[in-house]
Amino acid sequence: MRKFFLFLTYIIFISISVILLGLIFYSPLSALAINLASPEIQFAILLSLITSVLSTTICIALAIPVAYALARYEFFGKKCATLALTLPLTLPPLVAGIALLLFFGTTPWGKALDQAGFAVIFTPLGIIVAEVFVNIPYMIRILRSAFSAINPRYEHVAKTLGCTDTGAFFHVTLPMARHGLLAGAIITWSKAMGEFGAVLMVAGATTMRTETLPIALYLNISTGDLNLAVAAATILILISLLTLCVVEYFDRSIHVF
Amino acid sequence: MLCIESLSITLGEFSVRDVTLEIQPGEYFIILGPTGAGKTVLLETIAGIHSPESGRIILGDKEITSTEPRLRNIGMVYQDYMLFPHLTVGDNIAFGLSQRKISSDEQHARVEEICSFLEISHLIRRYPGTLSGGEQQRVALARALVLKPEILLLDEPMSALDSRTRERMRMELFRIRKLTGTTIIQITHHFEDVFALADRIAIMREGQIIQFGETSGVFLHPVDMFVAEFLGIGNIIRGKSSKAGKITQIIPAAGPSFFAASGIVGNVVATLHAEDVIVSQEPLTSSARNCLSATVIEVIPNGSTVRVILDAGFPLTALLTRESCRDLHLGQGSKVYATFKASAIHVIPVNSQENGIL
Repeated sequence: MRKFFLFLTYIIFISISVILLGLIFYSPLSALAINLASPEIQFAILLSLITSVLSTTICIALAIPVAYALARYEFFGKKCATLALTLPLTLPPLVAGIALLLFFGTTPWGKALDQAGFAVIFTPLGIIVAEVFVNIPYMIRILRSAFSAINPRYEHVAKTLGCTDTGAFFHVTLPMARHGLLAGAIITWSKAMGEFGAVLMVAGATTMRTETLPIALYLNISTGDLNLAVAAATILILISLLTLCVVEYFDRSIHVF
Repeated sequence: MLCIESLSITLGEFSVRDVTLEIQPGEYFIILGPTGAGKTVLLETIAGIHSPESGRIILGDKEITSTEPRLRNIGMVYQDYMLFPHLTVGDNIAFGLSQRKISSDEQHARVEEICSFLEISHLIRRYPGTLSGGEQQRVALARALVLKPEILLLDEPMSALDSRTRERMRMELFRIRKLTGTTIIQITHHFEDVFALADRIAIMREGQIIQFGETSGVFLHPVDMFVAEFLGIGNIIRGKSSKAGKITQIIPAAGPSFFAASGIVGNVVATLHAEDVIVSQEPLTSSARNCLSATVIEVIPNGSTVRVILDAGFPLTALLTRESCRDLHLGQGSKVYATFKASAIHVIPVNSQENGIL
C-alpha cells in the first residue's frame, strides 16, 4: 500500500510540475522577456497591481472592524450576518459578477452612483469593486479567526494599564493578530491579482482599459496570440508561488482554506 | 477604602448578585468560592471591565461605578498573566507608563526599580513566551505594580504554578503588601493563601457573598453547611510546631499539645477533617498518636451524619453517623475521648505574626 500511495503522490507531483514548468518554458526566456516588455502586458501588470493593491487595502480596512465585531460582540442577527458575509466564498465569481452588474447597471442606486461620476460598469473602478466583493469574505474569515484566538483578557489588562477601548485594540489586539493580518492581506492580494470571472462581468474585457493580467491572458488566447498569454500566465504562476510560500511561513496556526 | 454597594451584573452564565463589601486601605482580602461563582466577574467589574446593572462602587471618596478602567488606578493580574507576547518584558512593564505619557527617562527608572524589587532585572530584554510560569507571574505583578495602583486585583494568580513556586510567590505577595501597602483583593482556591495572607475573606456562591469577615471568624463559625463543606475543614488549630523525633508536636494557643506527621516547625495552622476524629467513651488504645479528653459542647444533626462540637481545650469538631452518636449516648456535657492520627493533621506554615488571629 505504501508503495502504491507514494507512487501516486510522485505521479501527481511530477505531473503538476511538468505542466506548469511547460507553460513557463513554452517560449524561450529571451522571447518571454520581450513579451513581458510589450506595452499590453506592461499595462496589464500595472493595472493588476494598482487595482489589487487598492482592493486589498479596502478589504483590510473594512474587514478589520467587521471581523472584530464577529469575534467579540454578540448582536442581533449575528448568525445570519456571518453566513451572508462568508457566502461569496463559495459563490462562483461569475455569479458574484452578474449580481454586481445588475446592482450597478439597473438599480436606481447604481445609476445615481454613475451620474455622480463613479461609473462602475466597464471601468477600472469596476475591477476594484469586483475584487473587493469577491475577496472580502476571505479577509473577514482569516481575521475573525485571528481575533477569536486572542483572549479578550489581554484587552482587559491593557485597559487597567491605561488604554481606552480603541487604544487596547491598536496596541494589543491588532499587533497580536499581525500574522493573520499579513496572511489575509497576501491571500487577498494574490486572489485579486488573479480574479477573472467577477472582473469580466463587471468591468468587461477592453484591451488597454480594463485589461488585468487574467483578462490579458483571456483576450490574447481568444485572438490566438499565445506568446502574450503565456507571459501573463507566467507572472500569475510566480505570484501564486510567492503567496504560498509567504502563507506557509506565517500561517502555521491560522488555517485559511 | 473600597465600597461595593449592592452590585449586580450578569455575563452569560456568570453573575454577581447584590454584592456588598467594604475593603479597608492596605487590607489583604481573599475571595473563595467554587468554580462559576462569579468571582472573576466581580473582580473585573471592580476593575471597570464590565459595567454593573445596578449598584455602586466607591473608591475613597469618589464614585467610580462608571469610570473607565484606565482612570481607576486599579491593577489586575490574571491566572494566565496575559503578558503581551509581542512586547519584551521591559516593554510589557513600561506599557502602562507609556500609556500615561510619562517621560522615557522616568519610565526607565521606574521599570528598573520595580524589576530589582521583584528580582527580574535579568529578564528585561526577553519575550514572555520564553519565561517560566513563576517568571511570567513576577513580570505580570511588576506590570501592574509599576503604576502604583491603589488596589491590586489578583485572579487566582498562583493556580498555574507548581507548589514550590507557589510557596515562593506567596512570600513575595506578602512582601509586596508589606512594603507597598497596596490593598490587595485576591481570588484563590488554595487555603494556604488564606492562612498566609488574608486579613479577611469572603465566600462566594452563585454570584452572592454568603459570608465574609475575619479569616478566623469565617473558619470557626461558618454560616451554613455550604460554607463549612466548602471550607472542607472541620478543625483549624493555630499553634507552634516543634520537632519531636521524626514528627512534630504542636502546642495550640490553648489546650493540650498533639502530634502531627509533618516536618514543618514554627508558627503553623493545623487542619483536621472532622471525619478523621474518632469519638469514644474510654481512651482508645490504637496506632493513632493523639487521644485527648474532651467535653461535648453541642450536637448538630445534619442528614445522616451528626457534627459533634467538642471542647478539648481548643474547639474540635467530629463528624459521626447518627447511629454511633446514639450508641455513644452523646449529649451536651458528655465526657468523651477524641482520637486522631498524626498523619490526619495537615500542617500549613504561617509566614506572618500579625496576620489573622486563629
